Amino acid sequence: MPEPTNNMMMEENDQASLGFWGEAWQRFRRRRLAMLALCFVVFMCLMAMFAPLIVGTKPIVCKYKGNIYFPCLGYYNRSWENPIFRKDRFRNRYPKNLKTKDPESWAFFPLVYQDPYRRVRDGEWEDRPGNPSGTDGSPSRLNWFGTNQQGYDVFAQMVHGTQIALSVGFVSMGIAGVIGLTIGALAGYLGGWVDVLLSRVIELVMCIPSLVLILALVAMLDDVTNFHLMAIVGCTSWTGIARLARAEFLKLKQMEFITAARAMGASRWRIMFRHVLRNSLAPVLVPITFGIAAAILIESGLSYLGFGASPPNPSWGTLLKSGRSTIQQTWWLIVFPGVAIFLTVLAYNLIGEGLQEATDPRLRQDSH
Amino acid sequence: MASYLIRRLALASLTLLLITFVVYALIRNMPGTPLTADPAMMDPSKQISPEEIDRLNRLYGLDKPWHVAYFSWLKNVVQLDFGRSISQNNAPVAELIRERVPATMLLSVSSLVLTYLLSIPLGLWSTVKSGTRTERTVSTVLYMLYSLPSFVAALFLQILLAVKLQWLPLYGMSSDNFETLSTVGKTWDVFLHALMPIICFTYGSLAYYSRFIRANMQEVVRQDYIRTARAKGVSPGVVVWRHAFRNTLIPLVTLIGLTLPSLLSGAVILEQIFTWPGMGRLYFEAIGRRDYDTIMGLTLMFSVLTLLGQLLADLLYAVVDPRVTYD
Repeated sequence: MPEPTNNMMMEENDQASLGFWGEAWQRFRRRRLAMLALCFVVFMCLMAMFAPLIVGTKPIVCKYKGNIYFPCLGYYNRSWENPIFRKDRFRNRYPKNLKTKDPESWAFFPLVYQDPYRRVRDGEWEDRPGNPSGTDGSPSRLNWFGTNQQGYDVFAQMVHGTQIALSVGFVSMGIAGVIGLTIGALAGYLGGWVDVLLSRVIELVMCIPSLVLILALVAMLDDVTNFHLMAIVGCTSWTGIARLARAEFLKLKQMEFITAARAMGASRWRIMFRHVLRNSLAPVLVPITFGIAAAILIESGLSYLGFGASPPNPSWGTLLKSGRSTIQQTWWLIVFPGVAIFLTVLAYNLIGEGLQEATDPRLRQDSH
Repeated sequence: MASYLIRRLALASLTLLLITFVVYALIRNMPGTPLTADPAMMDPSKQISPEEIDRLNRLYGLDKPWHVAYFSWLKNVVQLDFGRSISQNNAPVAELIRERVPATMLLSVSSLVLTYLLSIPLGLWSTVKSGTRTERTVSTVLYMLYSLPSFVAALFLQILLAVKLQWLPLYGMSSDNFETLSTVGKTWDVFLHALMPIICFTYGSLAYYSRFIRANMQEVVRQDYIRTARAKGVSPGVVVWRHAFRNTLIPLVTLIGLTLPSLLSGAVILEQIFTWPGMGRLYFEAIGRRDYDTIMGLTLMFSVLTLLGQLLADLLYAVVDPRVTYD
């Protein structure tokens, strides 16, 4: 728990005060919609983390030739799937192969037996037909959200695609936050020619059409991965944060507690990072939250345009793209991912707004 | 005022120089050139021999390093020559851009007019009816619309209005039999095609603006002079329109300046979805074809509009708020 640095925030009675973040949390909790949105995001995070346990064709845990294995880890990283299965020529067809190659074996499969990266074939699972392909894959008992033209299950792709959407949002805004805060802090706190120079840089990046910047950077890469996308989105969307951080630093460095810290002999960097930064975090958090929503939009937009990560890439935008090509027949390829994108963006916007009202002291004075 | 303007313009041209330099560096360093990135060149029978490519490279100045090429581009631009599009049979870039202006303006202007026509009454209405059930429902719907990404909305509308109900055409700007139609028929045809794109362009800004107006109005109606006006018996309508709304114009007017670039910029994804022959599509195609001069022409146009819009916003600020001066 960080010490409360801002006495303005402390309550005046003798009770131990909650500190700034504690109070902000209490305020945030009172907003029902924001809390609902937060629950939704937590739910999505859990879904992203445990996607291979929810839907997949690799057993969560199985016993094979006397050993216990966790083949579903292969969805996180190919090398985490035990090589024995490759050696025994399983070819990702676990249910039958386990039975024929070792009658003693047992396995727990994910809740839904479908795969985001390939088509489930006839009889892979006893008495189950394979996935339809082309434009016949409308939602059914086996394919809840239908299948795409290649016969990949849409539900499986969407659950695994949650990882992409959420990680793109978090990581790219993490990068943007670090860049924006550093540049804004240096410009605002040091002032003088540093400020003039950095302000020009901010203005420059703001004025360059972000699409050119992103598409040019994507085009320079041979094999685009989601990490590239995160880095690129992060490196192009920090300007708003930098401007806000600069304004906060300009304002805060005039406050009494900074003068006090300086009088006590604190070094410039210590004041900047321990005293000013901590107090400017709350306002900066708001554009970061809105930025996560924007980053998710950029990623799905890029995937829609065909500039996303190289295939196989079960991103929501890729689903939309394949849905657009056969829009006359395959409504399910558009409706389900579209709703997912909408709900995620809505949730982050609601959280951002909740944060804004919970941390903005101007709005607080009104309510007292 | 004059010195302020000169200072701003000088700063803007410096920024412009930097932007074009950075963008030129970026696009020249993308792999491929206009000669190799053209999809038509993928056909082996139409491929040009390496010697021919060398010759063309020299002809178009593609053999020079990018910083040298940038300055020759800059020299031409100063003489108002924006270059030629190599991938489109050497058509002048200015001509290519001018061709796309009507299509983009059709969408952006009508969406802008619609936005203002609808959002101001909506914002005022929700201020007056603040707290009632209908107002809260409308506000919630507007908030949801604000969060609905326009390309998702575009695809949903296409499924609903074009595929299921078959009321509107799916994409394009005109039907196949466009040439045979009468003038009225042509207008009606373009109107039908433009309807869905206009909705997609409008609803997001409509939600944003009406929320913006409502937020500003709520700040203003708490002011003392509103209470005074009410106390002396001014009718509620006049209070809202003349006393409150006029005082929220300041932030609204600055927003107008900032929408200037969007009048011509189009929207890449939306135009791609509706195969609308506008500026965004030209941009997207130009990037794909490594059509350097077209990309630079468009970038220059957007940057000039963005910087002009910012300047306009600041100047309008002084016009609507007499307290602000730039002396």
